[in-house]
Amino acid sequence: MRPVNFVLLFAAFCGVAHAAQQDAVMDAMQAEMTRSLTLTLGQLDKPYFLSYQVDDQNTWSASATLGGLVASNTSSFRAPRVRIRVGDYKFDNSNWTGANASGPRYDLRSFPLEDTNPLVMRQYLWLATDSSFKGALQSIARKRAALRNVTVTDQLADLTPAQPFVAVHDYTPINFDEKAWAERVRTVSKVFAAYPALRSSSVDYTAIDNLHRFITNEGTQLRQQDTVGMVEIRATVQAADGMILRDLATFYTHDLNKMFSEDEMSKAARAISDQVSKLAAAPMGDEYAGPVLFEGVASAQLLAELLGRNVHISRKPLSPPGAASQSTPTDLEGRRGVRIMPEFFDVVDDPTLPMFGHEEADEEGVQDRPVTLVEKGVLKDFLRSRQPVRGYNDSNGRGRIPANFGAELPIPTNLIVKARETSTIAELKQKLLDLVQQRDLPYAIIVRKMDFPSSASRDEARKILAAAGSGRAVAAPLYVYRLYPDGHEELVRGQRFRSMSARALKDILAAGNDSVTFNYLDNGAPFALLGFGNGAAEVSVVAPSLLIDDLEMSKVDDEQPKLPLVPSPFALSQTAAAK
Amino acid sequence: MLLSRLVNTLHVALVLAVSATAFGADNSVVLNTMADELQRNYQTLKQKADPAPYFLSYEVTEQESYSIGASLGVLNSKGGGKNRYLDVTVRVGDPKMDNFRRVRGDRVQFTSGAQVAIDDSADPLRERIWLETDRVYRAAAERLIRIRTNQQVKAADRDQSADFSSEESYIHTETPEALTFDQDRWTKTARELSKEFLKYPNLLGSDVQVSASTDNRYFVNTEGTKVQHGRGFARIMISASAKAADGMDVSDFDSFEAVESKDLPVEDAIRASIKKVGEHVEALLKAHTAEPFVGPAIFSGRASGVFFHEIFGHRIEGHRQKDEAEGQTFTGSVGTKILPDFLSVTFDPSLRKIGNVDLNGWYEYDDEGVAGKPVKAVENGVLKSFLMSRSPIEGFDHSNGHGRRQPGLEVVSRQSNLIVTSTNSVPEDKLRQMLVAEIKRQNKPYGLYFEDITGGFTTTQRSGLQAFKVIPVIVYKVYADGRPDELIRGADIVGTPLASFAKILATSDKQDVFNGYCGAESGSVPVSAVSPAILISEIEIEKKDAAQDLLPLLPSPLQAGIR
Repeated sequence: MRPVNFVLLFAAFCGVAHAAQQDAVMDAMQAEMTRSLTLTLGQLDKPYFLSYQVDDQNTWSASATLGGLVASNTSSFRAPRVRIRVGDYKFDNSNWTGANASGPRYDLRSFPLEDTNPLVMRQYLWLATDSSFKGALQSIARKRAALRNVTVTDQLADLTPAQPFVAVHDYTPINFDEKAWAERVRTVSKVFAAYPALRSSSVDYTAIDNLHRFITNEGTQLRQQDTVGMVEIRATVQAADGMILRDLATFYTHDLNKMFSEDEMSKAARAISDQVSKLAAAPMGDEYAGPVLFEGVASAQLLAELLGRNVHISRKPLSPPGAASQSTPTDLEGRRGVRIMPEFFDVVDDPTLPMFGHEEADEEGVQDRPVTLVEKGVLKDFLRSRQPVRGYNDSNGRGRIPANFGAELPIPTNLIVKARETSTIAELKQKLLDLVQQRDLPYAIIVRKMDFPSSASRDEARKILAAAGSGRAVAAPLYVYRLYPDGHEELVRGQRFRSMSARALKDILAAGNDSVTFNYLDNGAPFALLGFGNGAAEVSVVAPSLLIDDLEMSKVDDEQPKLPLVPSPFALSQTAAAK
Repeated sequence: MLLSRLVNTLHVALVLAVSATAFGADNSVVLNTMADELQRNYQTLKQKADPAPYFLSYEVTEQESYSIGASLGVLNSKGGGKNRYLDVTVRVGDPKMDNFRRVRGDRVQFTSGAQVAIDDSADPLRERIWLETDRVYRAAAERLIRIRTNQQVKAADRDQSADFSSEESYIHTETPEALTFDQDRWTKTARELSKEFLKYPNLLGSDVQVSASTDNRYFVNTEGTKVQHGRGFARIMISASAKAADGMDVSDFDSFEAVESKDLPVEDAIRASIKKVGEHVEALLKAHTAEPFVGPAIFSGRASGVFFHEIFGHRIEGHRQKDEAEGQTFTGSVGTKILPDFLSVTFDPSLRKIGNVDLNGWYEYDDEGVAGKPVKAVENGVLKSFLMSRSPIEGFDHSNGHGRRQPGLEVVSRQSNLIVTSTNSVPEDKLRQMLVAEIKRQNKPYGLYFEDITGGFTTTQRSGLQAFKVIPVIVYKVYADGRPDELIRGADIVGTPLASFAKILATSDKQDVFNGYCGAESGSVPVSAVSPAILISEIEIEKKDAAQDLLPLLPSPLQAGIR
C-alpha cells in the first residue's frame, strides 16, 4: 500500500512545482537527484555535477523493395542516461583516455514504461547513479596516478560553467499512421520496377517522436518534444566494367503530421534511377587539377564537411604515458582572426531560425546561441560544448552528439553561408570557361551532387578514407560533369578529391546568387555514413553555388566486382517487353 | 514414453487435417519463388560458371515474436517484430570434395542471412536471391580453389569421408504457424505477478517476461526437396538478482516453455515460481561461499540434463569427429562402452512432449531439408552413433536430420531433444539415502546437491583443455549426520568428460525437462535435455570468479521512509 501513497504525494507536489503538464518521471528524477548529491565514500571525491536524462522514444519505421515490405518496426522505450562528475570543474574524472572505468554492474532491467510507481523509476536511477559514481571515483584515481608520470603543458579545466536553462514544455503524443506509411514506402518502392537494369533499390522511412527530459544539479530543467521524420531512397546499378554506382535521395522534416507526399517521393525515386543509370553508362573520369564549380546542393554538402566538421577545436584528452594520441586537430584550429574565406563571405550558425537544425538546448542542456563564425572572410569563433578548449571557457550550446571521454562533439545547427558578391550560374560557368581558356585546360569540372550523407558500404568508405592520404577525407563527388570550351557537358564517373581540406575555402573565386538549403542528420561518422556513428543531430546548411580554384581530383583505381554470372531476374521480362 | 508418443502422433494428425483445408495460395509465393529462382540460377551457373556448382539450396526463415516484461508491478518492455532471412548454399566441386571441406582452423562462412521481404511478394525476394547466389557462388569457388591447393601441400586427413552425403528428397507443406499472443492478458499477468518480488527487499533487480514467437522455414534444393514447416515457442522467464555483502552477484532464474502461449502455466504456478526465485536469492545472500571440494553429489533431473548436454552432447556432434583441430573425445569409441551399462542416451527431434511439458528441441526438418530422425547415441552404455548433418564422417554416410543453424550461419550438426534413460533407477528419497551412504563411505564431511544449473561451457578444440565448466545456481551441502541441507553460493563445477561419466552410480526414477537455447558455431538453436536425477561418486567444484564491489552506498528508494 505504501507505494500508492507515495504516488499521491508526488502528484500533489509536482502540481505546484510546474505550471505545465504533470510528469511523474521528471519528479522521480528530481527526487532521486537530491538524494544522490549526498553520495559520499570515505575521504574520496564528491560528486559536483550530476545530470539525469530520460527520453520517451516512440519510433516507427519500414523498409520496402520493389513493392514488398522488407522490415517494419515500432518501438517504444524509455532511454535513461546518468552522467556524474566527481572532483570539481577544474579537475574531474573526464577528459582522460581511461574515463570509461565502469562501476558495479547491477544487472539493471529496463526503465519502467509506466508512471504508476515512481519508486521503481527511482530504484533504477539509484542503482545507475551508484554505479556511475563508483566508476567515476576509479577514473579520477587513475587519472591522478597517471599525472604523476607526465607533464601537462595545457592546464585546461575539465568542465566549463554554464548558465542553468529552464524550458519545460507540454508534450502532445503524435498519432502516427504507420499503416499508411508502410503502404506509402511499398508504393514508392514499386517505381524501381520500371528500371530493370538496377541492381538493387530500397525505400526506408523512420519517424521518431521523442519526449526529452533533462535535469542537472546546476538547475537546468528541460522537457521538450523532438520529432524527426526521414525518408531514404536508394538505388544501385553496376556498370559494364563492374563498378557499382549508388545514389541516395533523402527527405527530412520535424513535422510528422505532414511528412512527404507519395508524389514527391516517387519523383525522387525516378530521378535517382534515371541519374544513376546514366552514371553507369558514363565514361571514367581522369586525373584533374584546376577550377571546380560546386553547383546547387553540392556546395552546401561540401560546406557541411569543410566548415561543419572543422569549426570547432578538438581537445586532446590526457593519456597514460606512452599511449597513442586520441585526437586529430581540426583544419581550422589556431586560425581565429585569420582569413579563411574571401572577404565577401559571412557565416553564422543560428539555431533560432525555424529550419531543420533548429534547437533550443544541446545534449548538455545548454541553451543554443547564434554564433557568428566568419565575418568578412575572417574566422571569428568556434562551436563549443562544455568541454573547455584552448582559449575558451564557455559553451555556446553545440555539444550535440556524444563523443569520447565524457565530452560531446560540437555540430552546427543552421549553418548559413552568405556571399555579398554574387554571380548568376551562367556567369559562373562563363568564368569557368574563361579559366579553361587562360590555362589551356581541355575542360573544367562541375560537381552537382556529393555523396553526403553517404550510403557507401563499410568497405567502400574505408577505401575512400585510405585514398585521402593525410588529413580528413571528404565525401566523393557523385555527379561530376566535364565542361568543354564549346560549352557542352559530359557526365563522368569514378573520381575523388585529393587532399581536400578547409584550406580550399580560401580559393573560392566566386559565389552564385542562388541559395540552396540542404538538410541532413550528422552522426559524427566520416561522410555522415548512414547507419554508422553515435547519435545524430539535425543540421541545415544554406549556401550559394561556389567556384573554387586549384582542386585536385584522382581517378578511382579500386578493384571492381565482376558482373553476376546469372542475369538479373528482371532482365528477362525486359527483353520480353522489348519484343 | 509411449504416452507422449501417442500425444505426439495425435498432434501431427490435427495439424495435417487443418492444413488440408486451410492451405491458402498466399504462402506458396515464397516457396514457389524460391524454387523458380533456384532452377534459373542453377541452370545458368551450371552452363557458365567455372568451377560449376553441383548443388544449390535456399532456406528462408521467418521469425515473428512479441514480448512484454514487467518489474515490481510496472511494465518495462514491450514490442515485437517479424523478419525473414535468406540463407544460400552453393556447393562447387563434387560431393567427395567441395567448398565446405573442413580444413583445420578454417571456419566456413558463405551465407549471410540477408533480410528479405516479409510480404508474400515475389520480386523483392527474386532480387535478393539473385544477388546472394552470385555473392555466395563467388566465395564458394574461391574457397574450393584454395582448398585444392591446400590438399596438395598438407598431410592427408585421417578421416577420408566425403564432404556431402546423398539423401532422399522431401516434399512437405503445411499451414504456416501463426503468432497468437493475448497481449492484454499477459500484460496484466506480468504486471500483477511481478509485484510479488516487492516482498523481497534485498533484491536489486527482478523481472517477469512473457514472450511468444513463431519460426516458419521454407527450404528448396536442386535435388527436389521442397519443404515448408514451422512451430511456435512461448516462454515465461522469471529472474531476480542481488549483491551479497562481499560483492558477489547472486541470481536465480526460472522459466516455463510451451509451443503456444495459451499453454503456458496459469497464475498459481507462476506465483509459486516467483516465490521460489525470490526466496532463493534472499537465501543466497545469507549463504556461505563454497570452498573447493571433491566428493559425491546428486544432480537434479534438470541439472543432469544440462550436464549431459554440455559434456556429452557437444562431443558427439558429427562434424567434430572429422576436424583435426577437435579433441575427438569419442571419435574412435563407436561400439565401446563410454557410460555405465544402465544409461542410454537418445536424441529425438520428433518428440514434442514429455508428459505435459512441451519440448523446445523438436522440429520436423533440419536446416538441410532432411527430416529429423531419432538417434540412439548410447545404448546400455555403448556408443552407437553420432548426430549427423549432411557432412559424412567415417562409418556414418548419412544425415540423421541434425544439421541445424540460426539464420546467417552455416549448418553443422547440433543437438535436438536429449533424453537420458536409466535401468538403474531408484525413487528420489532412496537416491538421497545412497548419497548419504556414499558420503560416509568416502569419509567426507558433506556431499552436494545441485538443484539448478543455468548452463555451462565446454572446450572441444584440441588446442584447449578437454574440460567442462558448468555453472550451478542452486547448490546445497548435504550432511551425513542428519543436519538440514545448507545452501551455498559461488561454486562452479569443473571436470573432464571421460572421468566424470565413469562415476555415475545410479539415477532417480523421475525424468525432468530442461528447455533452453544452445549456442555454438552455427548460432543459437532451441534444445531440450531430459534426464532423471543422477548420483555421482565424485565431482569437483571450484570458487567462482566474483565481483568485489561495495553494496550501493545509499539505501534503496523502495524502502520505507525515503522520500
